Amino acid sequence: MTQSPTLSRRTASAPTPPRKSRRRGADARAGYTFLLPWLLGFIALTVGPMISSLYLSFTNYNLFDAPKWIGFDNYVSLFQDERFLQSVGVTMQYVVFGTPLKLAAALAIAMLLNSKRKGQGFYRSSFYAPSLIGASVSIAIVWKAMFGDSGPVDQGLSFFGINLGGWVGNPNMTMGMMILLTVWQFGAPMVIFLAGLKQIPADLYEAASMDGAGPVRKFMNITWPMLSPVIFFNLLMETIHAFQIFASAYIISNGEGGPAGSTLFYTLYLYLRGFSDFRMGYASAMAWLLVIVVGIITLIFFKTSKSWVHYSGDAK
Amino acid sequence: MATPTQNQPTTTTPAPVYNPKSESTTVKRIKSTIFHIVALGLVAMVLYPALWMISAAFKPNSEIGGANNALWSNNFSFDNFATAMEGIGGVSTLTFFTNSLILAVGAVVGTVLSASISAYAFARINFPGRGLFFGMMIATLLLPFHVVIIPQYIVFQQLGLVDTYVPLLIGKFLAADAFFVFLMVQFMRGLPAELDEAARIDGAGHVRIFGSIMLPLMKPALISTSIFSFIWSWNDFLGPLLYLNTPDKYPLPLALRLFVDQTQSSDYGAMIAMSVLALLPVLVFFLVFQRYIVEGVSTQGLKG
Amino acid sequence: MFDRRKFLTTVALGTASAAFLSACGQSSTAGQTGSAENPVTITYTWWGNDDRAERTRKAIALFESKNPDIKVNGNFSDFAGYWQKRATEAAGGGLPDVMQWDLSYLRDYGQRNQLLDLGTVKINTDAFDKSLLPSGQIRGKTYGIPTSTNAFAVYYDPAKLASLGIAEPDGTWNYKEFNTFLAEVGAKGNGTLFGGTDYTGIWWNFNIWLRQNNIQAFTEDGKLGFSKDDLKKWWNLTADLRGTGAIVGEDKATQLLPKSPFGSNVTATEVTWDNFMAGYLADSGAKELKLVPVPSDDPDNLGLFLKPSMLMVASAKTKYKDAAARFIDFMVNDPEVGQIFKTSRGVPASKTQRDGTTFEGTDKLVVDYEKSIEKYLKDAPEPPIVGFGTLESTFKRVTQDLNYGKLTVDGAVDAWFKEAEDLIKQNA
Repeated sequence: MTQSPTLSRRTASAPTPPRKSRRRGADARAGYTFLLPWLLGFIALTVGPMISSLYLSFTNYNLFDAPKWIGFDNYVSLFQDERFLQSVGVTMQYVVFGTPLKLAAALAIAMLLNSKRKGQGFYRSSFYAPSLIGASVSIAIVWKAMFGDSGPVDQGLSFFGINLGGWVGNPNMTMGMMILLTVWQFGAPMVIFLAGLKQIPADLYEAASMDGAGPVRKFMNITWPMLSPVIFFNLLMETIHAFQIFASAYIISNGEGGPAGSTLFYTLYLYLRGFSDFRMGYASAMAWLLVIVVGIITLIFFKTSKSWVHYSGDAK
Repeated sequence: MATPTQNQPTTTTPAPVYNPKSESTTVKRIKSTIFHIVALGLVAMVLYPALWMISAAFKPNSEIGGANNALWSNNFSFDNFATAMEGIGGVSTLTFFTNSLILAVGAVVGTVLSASISAYAFARINFPGRGLFFGMMIATLLLPFHVVIIPQYIVFQQLGLVDTYVPLLIGKFLAADAFFVFLMVQFMRGLPAELDEAARIDGAGHVRIFGSIMLPLMKPALISTSIFSFIWSWNDFLGPLLYLNTPDKYPLPLALRLFVDQTQSSDYGAMIAMSVLALLPVLVFFLVFQRYIVEGVSTQGLKG
Repeated sequence: MFDRRKFLTTVALGTASAAFLSACGQSSTAGQTGSAENPVTITYTWWGNDDRAERTRKAIALFESKNPDIKVNGNFSDFAGYWQKRATEAAGGGLPDVMQWDLSYLRDYGQRNQLLDLGTVKINTDAFDKSLLPSGQIRGKTYGIPTSTNAFAVYYDPAKLASLGIAEPDGTWNYKEFNTFLAEVGAKGNGTLFGGTDYTGIWWNFNIWLRQNNIQAFTEDGKLGFSKDDLKKWWNLTADLRGTGAIVGEDKATQLLPKSPFGSNVTATEVTWDNFMAGYLADSGAKELKLVPVPSDDPDNLGLFLKPSMLMVASAKTKYKDAAARFIDFMVNDPEVGQIFKTSRGVPASKTQRDGTTFEGTDKLVVDYEKSIEKYLKDAPEPPIVGFGTLESTFKRVTQDLNYGKLTVDGAVDAWFKEAEDLIKQNA
């Protein structure tokens, strides 16, 4: 790093500490000054609350009375709580089925669009649009209306002889409705996939073609490995995102997680327990359990990624 | 390795060779047509809910949900919108729009300011602990928010700040959204360090470098940040749900819910019209700023 | 070429101050009392359907015309969501100035000092039946004034019964006979009309059945007064009806929300409070609906009582005690309000209001119904335990799960008891 002669000249009169440490000192001060808002926020809005909620999870705090320590009672109660277990099941269903479907759609359509054909911008934007509005209250209302009795979905299916009735009131169909909602928002991961696909050099494909490789071989030997960092990124982010669904679930189920608890997502149940019943100790325990589970899942993702994610520069 | 041949009889190589350039234009055109048909078909499917929503907003109630599920109706009118604009519970829809606007603009300003200076620190200043803090910031991207909302709520409640906009905006001014910091850091890393150096030689300190050099060059990142930050704030439901209790402070998502609660079960039309109104700014933003939005998203996943 | 930094800073400061101002400045000028030029605005919230909303708005307009120095901003929701909202409001930001309240939640909020002691403001309770007022009092403080009384009843639609060729019930039936009746409707209704909803899902019906069997729901010291077996017996009452046409399917009922199946003309009967009459008439468009007493296995003990159907309460933190008190007084005493609501809140508790109201048609039926069961009426049950509201909604939810086939009766009993015991332990 080149030293700046001007600095030392200007401060020549005062006793000067060696340039390097002065520069470092200035940098440290500047760094922390610039970072001050983030640091404040990090401590006050993230670290502090995390510690606090850990403490709360061992109490029976209800916002009105002083918290009383009850040890692991909350955690034990959780596992005996039917609705909690149900919320876990509902959320896992959503994550396990919804996320891969969404990513598959995103990848498939990205591959479809990855060509030099005209209209790229139009198609890309059209597919992306739902991602911007998908999680909104407006769309939740529309989705609920569309999947109601005699709504367009019901009528459309009836046209083909499938008479399912309204999906909204049917505990067996509501999950399908929610998964469709998330898959509908495939545009965001799709755009990322597209960017990744465009980075794959075309001559790799040409070379493969000349070796006689068909589309499947090309996908498995070129597309997938080259795209794997992007796939990994999308998989990780979408999975974590899926755990945090709230607005759609709340609106579609009227804030109750019904019918019969079929839309009782983890976040919704946590909200009901924490902000409707005001059992904040209990809700905090739920929150920490989620952190642990998501942490484990993230770790697993990272650990297993070594076996299938290829970064550029790796020998192929 | 076979050499590609141009429309010449391939007498020399015995094995059949795939020659991309020998595809006739008709085949190309057919493939192109198929592509567009498939793509347009998908677009139609994907955009159908939006079209249905807009169509339903203009239909009279009797035709939504059953009678007429086609997108067209002979009875299109603005009636539903008129009902929607009346507002609910004595509060006009205009107030709801204004509230959403205040929150969104506040979010944009706060985020742009705090994320840019934090990103500058991470990307351009070498200070002890930088790596550690950067890692922690990235980690917050993976942290479920559930674990912080309860204590945050308690703190705000004890401070008497529930039912104000403070809890909703303060995080934005403190760079609480790591996504934007990350986005800006990535962007800054793409700007040559020589610029900083040149400025430093001229005697500029970090503040000058940040303000006069970095910021102007970061326009695309700032725009992407502003747009996403606006849209996310506009659509935010949980935050307002937790903290706002007086209807005249409600932003649109909460107002929508109030509307749904209080509207006749058969007045779907007004409900959907209100939903359309609530989404309008987002759609407008999208149409105008498509490029920035999509590019902002694309750069996310690329290695940095 | 403008200085971007300066521009951003000014925008930032401007927006920040605007945001802070709008957040803090809401409660600006209007002091305790207003005048016609500068009215105070109080907020009022209630639960109910559109019919009640219509009437309430009329009442509010009437109040505002009689009291030009007060403006009332009204808001409503359905019963279930109502309490969620109140809970969040109580935690911060404040409850609305005046609220419609239910007995189930009086103890919770009263004991936590969320409700104004109405004994400290001027509300005229001279015209009230003395025995009714204590229901709104806890430990000597008056937290709520009852608006009207309610009694449980079985509604039926005579026109629908006639169309199926079924005789109208006379109300002297036991549970077996009631079940048979429902089954008959279901069988003849052929999938378009069902007998009713699962009446074992309503807590107060269960409460009545307990009383019919001389069991108290709650003991003096806030514990459960009945056993799992009792609850099992109760939920088994409709075991044979579930899944048949006697009871409308849960998924259908959910689709109809927020309207009830009875109000949507999907069932021929409903078992609920007598103040639902007006709402049902409006929703269903039926020409007339009739009321008869609930079934009982003991013809002398119907387990019925008069419950304050709802109370008017005020927030302990209201800035406009005087305005709130005047509004409450108006709503419970003014005869014109009686004319607006008739029996849609119940039979008015204040004699002034009752006398000033002409009850005709179906409203008269409700009044007559309460008169007809007078000889069976016993004392109202104790104010429920703290946190009771959640138990009531859990009761409904568990019954729904039962009807969806997700739980067996045993499972349902266990689930509800667990919640109840948990709650009692919590509030111990």
